[in-house]
Amino acid sequence: MELFIIFFSAAVVNNFVLTYFLGICPFIGVSNKISSAFSMGLATTFVMTITAIVTWLIYHLILVEFHLEFLEYVSFILVIASLVQFVEMFIKKISQPLYRALGIFLPLITTNCAILGLALFIVLKDYSFIEGIFYGVGAGAGFTLAITIMAGIREELDIADVPKPFQGAPITLIIAGILALAFMGFSGMISG
Amino acid sequence: MSSKPSLSNEFVKGLWENNPIFKQVLGTCPTLAVTVSAINGIAMALATTFVLVFSSLIVSLVRKLIPTQVRIASYILIIATFVTIVDLVMKAQFPELSKSLGPYIPLIVVNCIILGRQEAFASKNSPFRSVIDALGMGSGFLLALFVLGSLREIFGSGTILGLQVMPNFYEPWLIMILPAGAFLTLGLLMGLSNFYVTHKKKIEKENIIQEYLKIKAT
Amino acid sequence: MKLVIHMLATLTLIGIISGALLSEVSNWAEPKIIANRKAETERAIFVVQQDAKSYKKIDSTDFELFEVFDANNNSLGYALPYEGNGFQGKIRIIVGLNKNINNLLGLEVLEQLETPGLGAKVAETAFTKQFKNLLLTPEIVAVKGVTPSNPNEIEAITGATISSKAIVRIINDGIKRLKAIQKSGEQN
Repeated sequence: MELFIIFFSAAVVNNFVLTYFLGICPFIGVSNKISSAFSMGLATTFVMTITAIVTWLIYHLILVEFHLEFLEYVSFILVIASLVQFVEMFIKKISQPLYRALGIFLPLITTNCAILGLALFIVLKDYSFIEGIFYGVGAGAGFTLAITIMAGIREELDIADVPKPFQGAPITLIIAGILALAFMGFSGMISG
Repeated sequence: MSSKPSLSNEFVKGLWENNPIFKQVLGTCPTLAVTVSAINGIAMALATTFVLVFSSLIVSLVRKLIPTQVRIASYILIIATFVTIVDLVMKAQFPELSKSLGPYIPLIVVNCIILGRQEAFASKNSPFRSVIDALGMGSGFLLALFVLGSLREIFGSGTILGLQVMPNFYEPWLIMILPAGAFLTLGLLMGLSNFYVTHKKKIEKENIIQEYLKIKAT
Repeated sequence: MKLVIHMLATLTLIGIISGALLSEVSNWAEPKIIANRKAETERAIFVVQQDAKSYKKIDSTDFELFEVFDANNNSLGYALPYEGNGFQGKIRIIVGLNKNINNLLGLEVLEQLETPGLGAKVAETAFTKQFKNLLLTPEIVAVKGVTPSNPNEIEAITGATISSKAIVRIINDGIKRLKAIQKSGEQN
C-alpha cells in the first residue's frame, strides 16, 4: 500500500513536470505529436527506472560508505550520461524497431533535468531501495502521462486560431499552466 | 559576418536578442521553479551565472586538449564540479537562501543554458571572449528571472523583495505562486515579447517604405 | 588506441582535479554547515521554550533531544527536534515540551519543502502559534473547517490539510517515541 502511494504520488499528485517543473525542455520540444511524445515518455521511464536503481546503489554503497557525499552531483550526472549511452547501445543491439522508435530521443534524455532530479529526490526523501524503484517508475509514468496529454492537446491546437506571437512555446506554457491547475485536483487523493 | 563581433556585442546579445529564456527557451526548469519571489530568482540567476562563467573559462582554456568524443562528458564533469562548489558555499554562508532554493541548485548541472554555451561558444572561442559571453547570458538569465519573480511576487504575495507594494485591501492571487501561475506568467511574457518584436519589425518595415516613397516623390 | 588512451586520460585527469578541489571545498564548508545547523537549532530551542535560559543535549537517546533549564537551573522540560514526510518532502520540526510531557509549549518548523503559498504556510506563525499550550493527551488532532473546541485540537490550514496533518503526525510520532524511552527508563 505504502509503495502504491509512492508510485501514485510521483505519477499524478506531485507530477514531475507539472509541480516540480522537471523535464520542461522535452515537454515543450517533443510534444507536437502523440506518437513521438509517447515514445519519449517510454524512453524516459526506462532510463528513470534504471537511474533510480543505479544511483541508489552508488549513493548508499559507495558515497555514504566512504564519506564522499560531496561527489554526489558529479557522480550522478556521470552515471546518468553513461547510462543513457549504454541503454542506447543495448537497444540498438537487441531490437532494431525499438531503436528506431526511441533512438533519437535517448541522447536528449541526458540533459533532461527530470532524471537528475529523480536521483536527487530519492536521496533527499531517504527512500529505501524498493521505494526508490517505485518512485522512479511512478515519476516516469507521470512524465509520460503529462507529455502525452500535452501532445494530444497540441494536435488539436493545430487547427485552432492561436494569435501569431503566442504560437509555439508560449501557448504550450499556458496550456501547461491550465493542466497544472487540473492536476492540483488530485492532491486530495492521498492524505499523508 | 566577416569579422568577429565586438566584445560589447558579445555581452549585449545575451540580454535581449539571444535571451536564454525568452528567445532560446533554454533552462526553463529553474526559471519556473524558483521564481516564487524576486529574491529567489536573483539568487538562482547569480548561482547559475557563477557556474556558467567559470565553466566557460575552464572549457575555453582546455578546449584544444579535450578529444571531441568525450567533450560532452568533460563539460558535464566541469559543470558539476562548479555546481557542487556553489551548493557547498551557499549551504555554509547563506543557509536561508540555500534552503529556499532547495534541490534546484544541484539541478543547475542539467540547465541546458550552461551546456549549450560550452558547446556553442566556449569550445570555439578565446577564454576572455567566452567569459564575456557567459556574463552576457548570465545577465539575460538574471533579467528574465527577476522580471518573472517580481511579477509573481507582486501579484502572488503583494510584495516585492519582501516590501509591501500592494495596498492592504489587495487580496493576493494565490495562483501566481502555485506551479500553474509560473507556467501562465512565462507563457504570457513570452507571447508579449514575441508580439513586441514583430510589432517593432513591422514599424521598421513601414518606415522604410515611407522613406522610399518620399525619396521617390521628390 | 592512442585516441582511447587520450580520452581516458582526459576524463581521469578532470575527475581527479575535480575530486581534489571538491574535497578541499567540502572540508572548508562542512564545519560551517554543521555550525549553521546547530545555531538554528539553538535559536529554535529558545523559541519553543520561551522561559529557557540554557539547555543540555541528552546523549542517552538514539535521537536528538535537549533538556532545557530556566535561570535558576531548574528543568523546564524538553526540546525535541523530529522529522517525517510531508506532502512534498521531508519536514523537520522542533517542539517544546513540559516536564511531564503532557503539554506542548511551542512549535517551530525548521525545514520543509511544501508548496509555496499553500503547504509552506505551516512554517508561519499564524499556524504554529496554535501549538502553544496544547494538551498532549491522548494526542494532537487536526480539525478541518471548524474552530477547535478541545484543548488538544488545532485547525488545519485551508488548502493545506495534508501538510497540516503531516505536522501533527510528526509531533505525535516524536512524542510517542520519547514517552516509550521514558517508560523503559523508569523501569530500569
